[in-house]
Amino acid sequence: MSHCFAGVDIGSTMTKVVIMNQSVLASVIGPTGPEHRKLANRVMEEALKKAKLPFKDITYVVATGYGRINVPFADKQITEISCHARGVAYLLPEARTVIDIGGQDSKGIKLRDGRAVDFVMNDKCAAGTGRFLEVAAEELGVRLEDMGKLSLEAKKAVRISNTCTVFAAQEVVTKLSGGAALPDIIAGLHEAIATRVYGMLRRLKIEREVALTGGGAKNIGLVKALEAKLGFAVQVPPEPLLTGAIGAALLGRDIVKEAEEKGTPLSRAERRLQEAALFT
Amino acid sequence: MTEEKKPEERKKRRTATEAASRIGPMVKAMVGEVMQAKEEKKPIAYSFICCCYDEIIRAMDIVPHWVENYAGICGAKRDAQRFLERAEAENFSRSLCTYALCGLGFDAWREELGEMPPESPWGGQVKPDVMLGSGQMLCDPRNKWFQAAQHYMPDVPVYDVGLPWPSYESDYDYREVQEYYVSYIVEELKGLVKFLEKHTDRKMDWENLSELVDLTDKTWNLIWETYELRQAVPSPMGTGDAMNTMVPIVFMMGTQQAYDFFQDLNKELKEKIAKKEGEVPDEKYRLLWGGGLPAWFALSDFNYFNSKGAVFPVETTYRMIEATYNFDIDLSKISDPLEHIAWRWVKFWTYWHDRARKRPGSHPDVERLIKYIEDYKIDGIVMHEAFSCRSWHPGLIWQLNLLKKVYRDIPSLVLESDIVDISSYNEADTRARIDAFIDPLEAVKR
Amino acid sequence: MPEKSALKGLAEADRYYQDYGLRARELKKQGKKIIGYLCAFTPAEVITAAGFVPVRIKGDVNEPITKADTEMETIICPLVRSCFDMALKGHYEYLDGLVVPHACDSICRTYDIWKYNLKLPYAHFINMPHGTDDASLAFYQDVLNTFRTSLGKFAGKEISNQALAEAIKLHNQNRAKVKELYELRKASPPLVSGEELTKVLIAVMSLPVEESIKMLGEVIAEMKERGVSAQKQARIMVIGAQVDDIAFIKLIEDSGAWVVADDLCPGAREFLSSVDVTADPVVGLADRYLRKIKCGRTYREMKGNYEEYLEDRFGHMGRMIDDFGVDGVVLYIYKYCDPYGFEVPQIKSYIEAKGTPVLYLEDEYSMSTIGRLRTRIQAFLELLGSK
Repeated sequence: MSHCFAGVDIGSTMTKVVIMNQSVLASVIGPTGPEHRKLANRVMEEALKKAKLPFKDITYVVATGYGRINVPFADKQITEISCHARGVAYLLPEARTVIDIGGQDSKGIKLRDGRAVDFVMNDKCAAGTGRFLEVAAEELGVRLEDMGKLSLEAKKAVRISNTCTVFAAQEVVTKLSGGAALPDIIAGLHEAIATRVYGMLRRLKIEREVALTGGGAKNIGLVKALEAKLGFAVQVPPEPLLTGAIGAALLGRDIVKEAEEKGTPLSRAERRLQEAALFT
Repeated sequence: MTEEKKPEERKKRRTATEAASRIGPMVKAMVGEVMQAKEEKKPIAYSFICCCYDEIIRAMDIVPHWVENYAGICGAKRDAQRFLERAEAENFSRSLCTYALCGLGFDAWREELGEMPPESPWGGQVKPDVMLGSGQMLCDPRNKWFQAAQHYMPDVPVYDVGLPWPSYESDYDYREVQEYYVSYIVEELKGLVKFLEKHTDRKMDWENLSELVDLTDKTWNLIWETYELRQAVPSPMGTGDAMNTMVPIVFMMGTQQAYDFFQDLNKELKEKIAKKEGEVPDEKYRLLWGGGLPAWFALSDFNYFNSKGAVFPVETTYRMIEATYNFDIDLSKISDPLEHIAWRWVKFWTYWHDRARKRPGSHPDVERLIKYIEDYKIDGIVMHEAFSCRSWHPGLIWQLNLLKKVYRDIPSLVLESDIVDISSYNEADTRARIDAFIDPLEAVKR
Repeated sequence: MPEKSALKGLAEADRYYQDYGLRARELKKQGKKIIGYLCAFTPAEVITAAGFVPVRIKGDVNEPITKADTEMETIICPLVRSCFDMALKGHYEYLDGLVVPHACDSICRTYDIWKYNLKLPYAHFINMPHGTDDASLAFYQDVLNTFRTSLGKFAGKEISNQALAEAIKLHNQNRAKVKELYELRKASPPLVSGEELTKVLIAVMSLPVEESIKMLGEVIAEMKERGVSAQKQARIMVIGAQVDDIAFIKLIEDSGAWVVADDLCPGAREFLSSVDVTADPVVGLADRYLRKIKCGRTYREMKGNYEEYLEDRFGHMGRMIDDFGVDGVVLYIYKYCDPYGFEVPQIKSYIEAKGTPVLYLEDEYSMSTIGRLRTRIQAFLELLGSK
């Protein structure tokens, strides 16, 4: 019989749900936001509706991401490191290194035989994450999603020397009032993030191919800046935001498969779609 | 893979004295000499400032490469970030000493390439034959940096010179312990000579060493007398210039060049004083640079102070000398040059102890501030807290607090950034703080 | 007069862990003098020999640093800042004196700040050298004798060779007990958890040595009797500077692993080497603190080639990995820690070369930052599990 699996990835800004059997049946991306944090079940329901499946038909649910402990209907919690590794191994089998640039953190993962063997992570400082760009975009009065395109018009990226997000935002304003062109400043911001991410990533000794996932991968300016640092092109999955959720669903599939092969019982959560009682 | 570069243009600091303006080319020549020495296969030693071995390496004709200097150059040229990032890629925390991070990042990169990293400032930092660290009462990087560098250069031997000095204590006087400090330092210096003779083809020329040790005493005294000239009103030279003239003090000690330089500076200052020519045309406030290494990438901040009529006639930073005739022993009577060096070291570090004993609750570091405040007619104190350095920067706030308690309240400003890492620096913020500090000085003056 | 608590073994350790300095406060009321000290490099034997109670000053990861910043720069090691903050907030009011060894810059360069702020009747700085060569050892003996004389003066009685030898014997017994406790970690599952062991060792830092020996004996007996059964989990070793709170160890164990080994203070670094009995007791003391304790703050001279040098500096970590069946190492280093920060690439590559994975974490000694390490620790355990 064909099992169905769900991966729920609760990131700091987006909640992603994927339902799979042999391939992706349905996926939903919704905002996490403070008022949405409890609502992993709603996003899950939406995904089930799309897949035209009742919840009881889902054999196994894996939750991942920063809010993974707040998915009461998940059978298992697995970190986003393992899930991104698994997701990339499935989507981009040639990748040996993963860069994930999320809203509040960024990470690098080294892959061998489809498994994470080493990783680095930054979640202490906004520099090198989507947050850095968000703060700067607000300061510049530009929509976040327009930043990538705008930066492509840059003639010469302005160097942003401050790594502290607050200082960098000030610096951006100073540069703008000093007459620097908006695209040049935005390109400078992308360069600054790329520098931080690249610096962190180098601790892993980067190997080709390199996959880029997370919200950062949707920003063409940032992709270009990172590629300039690396000196070669990166691979981006069709929907970079879903990588972790796909990996989570696949890890669920692996767990079920192993249990079936070994004949060991599966330990599962209570089969009920409910709100998280608590979110800390 | 490409490497991060290229630096932003840097604003050059204006110097007040002609002598200070000559320092840039001198440093460049110094770095060039090391390159030259490498080609000629002369032994090269990675060296730290203030480690007592200046005359020893000079007397043995070993060429020092001053690693802190090279990191400072990268910082001043605003081209250090790519080396810091390289060190970070090696798993060194960005919170560590950025001189060391810059140097280690450079070494790791150079050793990986088998040649200098692209467009290395002033040609680069060559691989040495030996590395000379030291264990003191400050600066852990002095015994960790070269040990860490061996990760990239496992074949380069390190010698670590133990160089402690007696702390200021209420339960005993330093004179009760000074003898065993000196004996220890002498043993460590003997070990250094032995190490250098083993790992280079050089032999110690003891007679030459004695001469150089005397030359250093002479130079110390000349520097002290020259810096004391800055007490004049208006003051002819400021800390901005002193961050240049530190070069002969810490990188050229034990050379005739250092002595000659200060003779020129001495003459120039006397001429300026005779003409009443100050660091700025209209001197309004006299400030003491009371602690902290400078932000090498932002030396033009001294010009910003100047633009407000503020001058720095004196600083504690890099004034690593005292007049040896003010010591309570006569160094010239010590015939053994190593013992001479050891006594000079211990006497330098305990120089302010006796004054501190005379003022209840005081401390040598604070006494030094008080003496400078009085001698140099100081209106306010400026310090700089470099986030990456735990040698010179702990205790600055406490010193200001204690100064207020045992002496008097004096306006003070503590700037924050770093020695090398420009990402910690915010020019607009720094200048706003300088403005906020200077304005009340006006009121105090009136 | 308050009596010593009736609790025994682990329960007693827990009490002293929860209320750090409790016993010292009781003893103070009975007229004993208490000497606080920073860092494992303070030879507590000398304090015991003088008839005082040595108490190691610790910080508190749960307490935000609020008072310290007006006297001490924020660029100092966060652990030292926390210790100082606790002292300013009155948590060490019972101290009669303070002893600070020349450990690292963050400790050495803040000695005056401590001394002038705490204003205790006694303060002393032990100017321990960095090097371990013969000249450094001889100098360190002189330094220890200066300390001994000074503390004797404060005690009003010279510290005799006999008193010092007896104190050394007691502290060695204490260390032997800790070593026995470590043996219990070798079992699978370990007979004592990392959290429990950490708690016990922290309690040890606050007790007179005789009482500590007794408590450790009770803990060992209790642990041996206790039946432990659990599903197999990854065996983790933690390497770092001073970890004087259970929070971090607990975080690892709550993530589904056993912490079975360490190179930490308090921990293996501090307790697994003892003082040799020598005719002049100071000779044995100096040798132990300078040469036997392997800490990043001490500069060990290179003998032989570079590989031998790494073996000399980190070989004890490698041996512990083998002896305690360690699956993975967490290298846990505080921000602004120059002695350990500069060793990270070397320690990491030394251990990885032996085939054991290493997770390097930088932290800032506060509950809020420790919590953020959770994902990394869990991911590391997942990595170990899928190996």
